[in-house]
Amino acid sequence: MRKGVMRPGHIQLRVLDMDEAVNHYRDLLGLIEMDRDEQGRVYLKGWTEVDKFSVVLREAESAGVDFVGYKCVDEATVDRLREELVAYGCKVEDIPAGELKDCGRRVRFDSPTGHMFEIFATKTQTGKWGVGKVNPEAWPRELTGMKATRFDHCLLYGPNIAGTIDLFRTVLGFELAEQVLDGEGTRLAGFLTVGMKAHDVAFIEHPEPGKLHHASFFLDTWYDVLRAADLIAMTDTSLDIGPTRHGLTHGETIYFFDPSGNRTEVFAGGDYHYPDHEPVTWEADKLGKAIFYHDRVLNERFLTVLT
Amino acid sequence: MDNNNSEVRFDSDQCHLVRIDKQDVAFSAAESRNLLVAMEQARQSGIYVGCRGGGCGKCRIRVLDGDYASKRMSRAWVSPQEEAEGVVLACRIFARSEMVIAPYPPELAHSYQTP
Repeated sequence: MRKGVMRPGHIQLRVLDMDEAVNHYRDLLGLIEMDRDEQGRVYLKGWTEVDKFSVVLREAESAGVDFVGYKCVDEATVDRLREELVAYGCKVEDIPAGELKDCGRRVRFDSPTGHMFEIFATKTQTGKWGVGKVNPEAWPRELTGMKATRFDHCLLYGPNIAGTIDLFRTVLGFELAEQVLDGEGTRLAGFLTVGMKAHDVAFIEHPEPGKLHHASFFLDTWYDVLRAADLIAMTDTSLDIGPTRHGLTHGETIYFFDPSGNRTEVFAGGDYHYPDHEPVTWEADKLGKAIFYHDRVLNERFLTVLT
Repeated sequence: MDNNNSEVRFDSDQCHLVRIDKQDVAFSAAESRNLLVAMEQARQSGIYVGCRGGGCGKCRIRVLDGDYASKRMSRAWVSPQEEAEGVVLACRIFARSEMVIAPYPPELAHSYQTP
């Protein structure tokens, strides 16, 4: 049952070198640099996103993810969900408005997989970048690189995904769209959504807590994925795998790494989900095809290379 | 734009021989190419290839001999003391002389707290 969480709102990533990271996320991915703050963090977004930012980069001594935030319909929803998070047993921290520039107060909470999440309801809306709010053109002509349209989802690895998936379904109202089950019925992976998208967040079982597998950005078409691959070659960017198709969600995809080793995905297409849909199930012995639909073989790197 | 390192020159770049200790593996590494990518481009193996960006830790090695320059690497895998003792990520170092290295892949990180 939906409970007032709307969509992924932002992800804060740790990077080892800010200039190199901005080259990757702004110039290669084509995200729009929206702001910087006194801590040196850089704020970006895909051009179709109406809120001011969705990606925050922080220079640090390690790579990985600091937190992922989800936007709620209003502040009353944040208050209600905060109470439910406390009752569920989460450690909850109130982050004041302005800690992220032009973002309202956030409620941060921990999870069984060791990831930090946030809910919030208020962020300055600057509108879609480069097109007007009235009689808008199809796209802005000033886009660069892969022209990524939005921050779409992330895949997180950690122990006890059953716990975090239950937290997201029970408290936050996410729905299970797709899953991977082993022979005993244990869930090895879960893809969750709060809307019609195939996934707004995904989890894969793994012994190390708090790990990032990838942050993913949406492209319009399969040709845009091919063009992204061309740009990866032209810029000598570290490639992981692709272009290919996933079995899970059936999206068309390519994976590569930012200059600090955080994995990036750009993808197009993919299935859709309604609240009355049963979860789509992939069996663990078909995991190769579930992840890489064409090769049908899983590579070690996809399962173990994380930040 | 180049996301791996800043000063890539293919023709006049000085190269150094890098040997992997106790394995029959050696490859030539240009000063502008990190050791991991130099190994891949020489179609050699022996060091696990992960993110190639200093983040995932899979290509951790011990430098047994030789000089090198290095870029920032994740403290999740290499402490300042270890780095001073020659424990590094192969994707973040650049040969400055002939080198001998040994793979030293990390155990899973169960409890690292992010700084």
